Order: sequence, then C-alpha cells, then structure tokens
Amino acid sequence: MGFHVNNTVLNTIFETWQTEYNIYAPRKYPDGGRFSDTDCIRYGKIDTAEEIIFDKKSEYSFKEFLTPVSQTLFFFTEGETKEADIPQRKAIIFLRSCDLHALKRLDDMYLCNGPADYYYSRLRENIKIVLMGCEHSFENCFCVSMGTNRSSNYDMSIDRQADGTYLIDCKDADWEKQFAAAGCVQQEVSPSYVTENSITVTVPENLTAEAAGSKMWDDYDSRCINCGRCNFVCPTCTCFTMQDLFYSENGKAGERRRVWASCMVDGFTDVAGGGSCRQKNGQRMRFKVLHKVLDYKQRNGYHMCVGCGRCDDICPEYISFSNCVNRLQDAIMEVKQND
Amino acid sequence: MDINTKALKKNAFRITKERGLTASRIRVPGGHLDAKYLGEIQRIAETFGNGTVHITSRQGFEIPGIPFEKIPEVNKALQGLIDGLEINQEELNGGYPASGTRNITACIGNRVCPFACYDTTSFAKKIEKAVFPNDLHFKIALTGCPNDCVKVRMHDFGIMGMTLPQLETDRCVSCGACVKACKKKSVEALKSVNYRPQRDERRCIGCGECVLNCPNAAWTRSKTKYYRLTLFGRTGKKNPRLGEDFIKWADEDSIIKIILNTYDYVKEYIDPSAPGGKEHIGYIVDRTGFEEFKRWALRDVTLPEIAEVMTPMYWKGIKY
Amino acid sequence: MIKNDYIPFSSKILEVIQHTDIEYTFRMEYQGDVKPGQFFEVSIPKYGEAPISVSGIGKNHIDLTIRRVGRVTTEVFERYVGDSLLLRGPYGNGFNLSDYIGKDLIIMAGGTGLSPVRGVIDYFFHHPEQRGHMTLISGFKTPNDILFRSDLKQWSANMDVILTVDYAEEDTPYHVGLVTQYIPQIQLGNVTNTAAIVVGPPAMMRFSVQGLLGIGLPEENIWISQERKMCCGLGKCGHCKVGDTYICLDGPVFNYTKGKFLVD
Repeated sequence: MGFHVNNTVLNTIFETWQTEYNIYAPRKYPDGGRFSDTDCIRYGKIDTAEEIIFDKKSEYSFKEFLTPVSQTLFFFTEGETKEADIPQRKAIIFLRSCDLHALKRLDDMYLCNGPADYYYSRLRENIKIVLMGCEHSFENCFCVSMGTNRSSNYDMSIDRQADGTYLIDCKDADWEKQFAAAGCVQQEVSPSYVTENSITVTVPENLTAEAAGSKMWDDYDSRCINCGRCNFVCPTCTCFTMQDLFYSENGKAGERRRVWASCMVDGFTDVAGGGSCRQKNGQRMRFKVLHKVLDYKQRNGYHMCVGCGRCDDICPEYISFSNCVNRLQDAIMEVKQND
Repeated sequence: MDINTKALKKNAFRITKERGLTASRIRVPGGHLDAKYLGEIQRIAETFGNGTVHITSRQGFEIPGIPFEKIPEVNKALQGLIDGLEINQEELNGGYPASGTRNITACIGNRVCPFACYDTTSFAKKIEKAVFPNDLHFKIALTGCPNDCVKVRMHDFGIMGMTLPQLETDRCVSCGACVKACKKKSVEALKSVNYRPQRDERRCIGCGECVLNCPNAAWTRSKTKYYRLTLFGRTGKKNPRLGEDFIKWADEDSIIKIILNTYDYVKEYIDPSAPGGKEHIGYIVDRTGFEEFKRWALRDVTLPEIAEVMTPMYWKGIKY
Repeated sequence: MIKNDYIPFSSKILEVIQHTDIEYTFRMEYQGDVKPGQFFEVSIPKYGEAPISVSGIGKNHIDLTIRRVGRVTTEVFERYVGDSLLLRGPYGNGFNLSDYIGKDLIIMAGGTGLSPVRGVIDYFFHHPEQRGHMTLISGFKTPNDILFRSDLKQWSANMDVILTVDYAEEDTPYHVGLVTQYIPQIQLGNVTNTAAIVVGPPAMMRFSVQGLLGIGLPEENIWISQERKMCCGLGKCGHCKVGDTYICLDGPVFNYTKGKFLVD
C-alpha cells in the first residue's frame, strides 16, 4: 500500500522501529574522505530520515551488515572454543535496486554455494529491506545493462520528494498499519527507477574463458596498482580470509575471525611453501572481470555484476570495469583469430 | 631627482640597477589568485613598466622598468589587486604599506593536491591578515604535507600540514597497504601486529599516506588539523641553515600567536644597527639564547594536548 | 538451525611417523566417513588453519601427512602423541574407488602428492582382485625426501613400484630422473581400460598428463588432484575458485576432461 509521508511522521515511525532494529542507510561521514576536507558517503547507522543521503551514491555498499569486514567466528582458550554471540539487534537496511539484486548474489554465495553459512544466515534472518528509488542514474551506473534497475522484493520502498516529504510503498503488514494509523495519505506509489544509464555495457553472447588468452589484460599489468578498492566497494564480492589471534602474546585467549579479502591484493592465492597464482595485475583483473560477467553465470545462471559502478567510482587509477567488459568482444575476436 | 629610498622600499618598490627606474612588487598571499588579476598585472606592466613581469621566488609578481614618477599612478592601479587579494592597507590608493614581512608562500594545498592536509592558501591569508603590514624581515611559508614542496625549512616560520590518522580497526582488511606505503614513502611508523597496523606515535609525521592508501576507509583523517612548525631556516650570505622542528601537532591559532609573539621578541632584541633594519631572526636567537626566544614565543599560547615542543633546539648549517 | 561448520573439533594425536626432517604423518583419532583425496582443515588456535589431505584411513583414525612449510604446520610439529589438534572436515570430493575398479591402474605422484593417493594405493594393494595391472611411479627430489618408505616397499609385492628421485649421489639404489621419464616402462594393456591418477606439483602434473596422453590414454581415464589456497573448505572464502569451479567443493579431485580447463 502506498503512502505520502512527511518527515516528522517518518521519524516518529523510525523511533518505534529503533526499539528493535538498527537502521542502516547511506549517510555522510563529514571529513571522512580520503583527501582532506572531503566527506565520505557510506553506510552507517542512522537515527533520523534527514541523515539518509538520497542524492549521491554510497562509496561502499551495504554488504558490511551481512558480511562484516571483520567477523569473529569463535573465541578460544586452550582447548575450548566458544561461538561468537549473535548480534542482539535486527537491522533495517536502506538500499537501491542494484544493491537489492546484489543481496540475491550474497544469498546464493553464502546460503547455496556449498553448505549454508551459519554466520551469514543468522544475520540474514533478521533484516528488513527498504528500497530507495532512483530518480536518475549516477555517474558510472550501468544497472540497466545488467537488468538490475528494478526490484520488487522489498519490505518498503522510499522516494524523497523535492519538498522533503516521502512517497512510500509498504509491503510489510505491520509497517503498513503504522503508516495508516499515523494518518498518512494513501495513494498509489511505485518506487522510481531508471530506464537508461549514460553507460551501456554489453557482455558478449559468445564470451568464454578463452578470453583469458587476450592481450588486453596486459594493459592492466601496469595500470592497476592491486589495491583491491574495487573488491571492497563491490556489493557482490564476498571473499574472506581467516585470521587467528591471541589477545596478548602470553595470553591463552584469542579468537578466529574472518576478514574481507580481495583477489586483486597480493597474497590472495599464496599457499604455504610459497606457491601463488596470478602474479600480474592484469591476470588478477581478468580473474575478477570474468568472474563478474562469465563464470559466476556459468555456475549460477545469471551475472554476478549488478552494474552499480562503485568499482569505477573508486578506482584511483581510473580503470573502468564497464569499459573493460566492453572490450571483451574484441578480446574474443582476437583469441579466435589466434587459434 | 630627490626620492626617499627608505619610503620607496617600504612601499614595496625596489631600487634597481637602472637609475630612475623602479620595480613594483605585488604580494599574493598563499600564491593563489583569481585569473582576472593577471590581466591587471599585465595592464600595469604594459602601461607603466617595460612590458615584462617577473614571477618572484616568493610567489609574487615584480613589474620592472617603472619610472619613479609613475609610482603614485602605479599605486592607484594596484588598488584592484590589493582589494581583491584582501591585503591590509593603510591609505587607499597608496599601494602596499610595508615590504619587510615578505609575501607568505604556500603550495597548492588541498584545493587541488590529494596529499595536502589543509587549505594552505586560506591559512596563508589568515596569517597575512594577522601580521601585515610589518617592516620586520619575516619569511613565512606553508606547505600542505611533509613532502614540503614549498621548502618551508628555508623560511623563518615553516608550517607543514599534518593529520592524526584514525584507525577503525574493524574496517581493516589486513591488506598491508598502509604499512607498505608508510615504509616506502614515509617514515616507517607502522608495523603489522595481529594482522593490523600499529602506529608508532613518536615516529609518525602525520603525512596521511596510510589514509590515502587504505582501500577500505579504515584509516581516516582527524577532524582537527595539525601542523608541524619549523623555525628559522634561512638562506643568505652569513650562515645559511635549514629550519628545525619546534612544535609537532600544533594548531592554527597557536601558530599565529607564536608568529605575533615573535614580532614582539624581535622588536625587543633586534640589533639597532642592523643594515636596513633587517636581521634574520635566527641571528637574534643566537644572541639571546633559545630559551629566551621560547619564553616570548609561547606567551599566552595554549597548545593542543598532543603537541610536542622540541627544546632545546640546535641548528646546523654552513659556516664560512 | 543451520549447522556451524566453522567450529572445529578436537582430535588426539595417536601416533607420529617421521618420514623426513620436514614431513611427518600424524595419525589422528577420527571416526566417520572419509575418502582418500578428501582433506581436513587442521588448526591450532593462534596459528590458524591449513588444508591437509588425508593420507591414510583406518577404522578409528585418519593419517594426515604434513609438510612443515608455514605458520600452522610449524606449530603442528611442536605437538606429539597425546596432544590434540583441531580439525574440520572432511571436505572435497575425494577419489571414487569405483572409477578404478576392474581397470589397469597407473598412479603418478610427485613429492607430497603421494599423500592424497596413498589411500587409493593401499586399497588396491589389499584388494588386488578388484583391479588389473597396477603401476606406481613415485618421484621425490632427493633420497632424503622420500615419504612412506615402508609402504613403498610393501606395495611392490603386488604392483610395479618405480621409485625415482630427481637428484642423487652416484650409486644410489633409486631410479634417478623425473617421473615422466618412466612412463615408457609402464606395462601397458588396453588403454581404454586403463585409469590413471596424477598428483603433484603443477608442472609435474602437466607433463605427466601429457606423457600419459602420449601413450594413448584417453583424457576421460585420467584423474588429477589440485591444490590451492583455501580458507574455509565450504565454497565461501573464494580463494580456491578457478573459473566456475571451487576446488574445495567440486574437487580437489578432477577428471582430466574437467581439470584441463582450469585456468587460474
């Protein structure tokens, strides 16, 4: 059911939600940017609706609430292990259509690829989703090409209007009652979505892993600095590494945690004894790009990349993932000719 | 021709090697100006000078080839620049009221440069407002970060931007980028302990390389801006030397106060027979001893808690 | 409620068998289904986890042959009989014995590559009636690096065992040379009814498979086992992904028709 809601009412309803939930949304971290006197827009806990940033894309995605950057799995003392506690509070996450499509990818990775992940599922069970409408496309977005520009599997949608009021489409029965009880005007609402982006990406129909043999990847050997920013901002990247630590050198207590990992960063493939794969940055780029638009689909039936364009937004070397994907057609031709 | 060279120099004109010809010296605090003022400089050079302009080593402009008699007209023509660059003035259309305290120079700062830890031009202008006009020979320079592109250590007061890096440990992905950058580009103040960077507060110079290189915004800049203040670097015939660190993690207000206090100190102790009333402050400090300088400089100054004051200070330098 | 697969269980060290200075077999208390070629995540708190393949399977134990090359394994070597290690697993597909039953069998192992196939060899040593002619070519760097010496001697009772080292002093009792050099010595029957397993370092596997194809073995009769960095064993951490394949879930054992397409 749709509602037209003003800021005061929305904040009052937020207050009732906050007794049980933390609300997470893209917000501003003043002076939180890499460069001095710059802000960072990224996900964080918010108290009021005004804090939610609607007019800019968040630099990092929402994924950190489901796959925390650093997540303690269990604690150990000599010989004993104790599972890390379940977070006490549930989460309401505000996200855009691309990110909601990314959530499906996280689900498929953590719940379906091999046995279901205990730590992911216990967070996943306790979230509600608020879809933020997109009135216009942002720089580097290519959601339309990836088919992720529309979503309907939300608990509520929200569009901020120019006058500071909100259009809301509510699917959650309890929330719907709250909006109705607050006297919000009912009206037909459907969340806004974009129908075109300035960037169009075409994944070649005939793309195969043979594209790995193209010379195009060599460009990235020197252009890429293997910093991993593209992976960390990506809402669909899920890799992690295990870490064991003791709280002090002589202490007997410690923990095992898992921490985000990046296939672009040194050490990702290092095995004990010294072996590693993909030493060149171009080969790491190839591994990442083909995962996003080829081999994930071979395994799961749909593309991994959701076209949010955050990887392009953040790359300090101005390497464009979307442009790279658009080069794949030539790469296929090149490889076929060489055969 | 009868002309008071002392008054002419104080008015920011120069006695040149060509009799009767002077050069007008334009100050650009912080070295950044709206492009439209270049047109005004061009007009003055073409109307009153020989049609050339020298870009000075202190980020000002010098318009040579001006006949002495044109000085009043040039001063009038400079009014737009003086107003536009917000230079403190004593007499409208009278040109610059002093030249002893030199133009305050700055690197491009955080308006453009990713390394800079603050807006160097804005701080330079703030200092200019506080110290100018003044006849004492003070050289002040500001640089955005410890790369020191402005070479602040060649100045009486060198101001170097610092940021106090903040680590949100739970955002750290143990990629090692900060440790590597600090080691390769800076002072090796970070090491990895339990998979996460540990910062050696004593070593850290606040350059911000850790923040710049962190791929996951685990390192961020401090909201408060900090500065390293270096003292009494100088070039010159007698005894050139590089400025030495005085305060690490200083704040803006303290720095301005210290500079103003130093004017008082110099007024008290300058050699009355110094040629042209110019004496490098360092020579004065050599005479009075550093502790006396410090007593004057830190009068009514409240430094941030983390500030480190180096004392005593020793300068090295070439001696002839 | 979903099972927490990350919590390890404690397993006692029953026996420690030293092969070389840096390779020991730890016989661990274990009851449960497990196949040769599968692996366990072995850990010691503070030092972390390492994937180790099962090198032997008994009624109440498993063997883990560990090479001391990293943080975890160095610490494992500090433990002895009566101490415990933490384990998770078994993970991976392992070797399917039914793929080899009734066939001539060639096994080529390089170095510690012998560990994951040891269970297969042992099975067919004890059940010679379930296979045809069997050849084991087992290569090590030097005589000092040889693993499972007594097994190798025992196995030669009913199969051809070619033990070779890359380098050795003169008058060594062992063959000298790469494992591939001994492919021509294999007593070859009907290639379509011959199965081969190749396990070892990447280069050794590549050349050995080429050699086997060269003598006429069909691709589909060759199996290989892959080693990659793994942090979870559960298809989650992503380190072992190669193309659309997760070594920990889909492997580490692959029929060569699939394995040949794995490009890191």
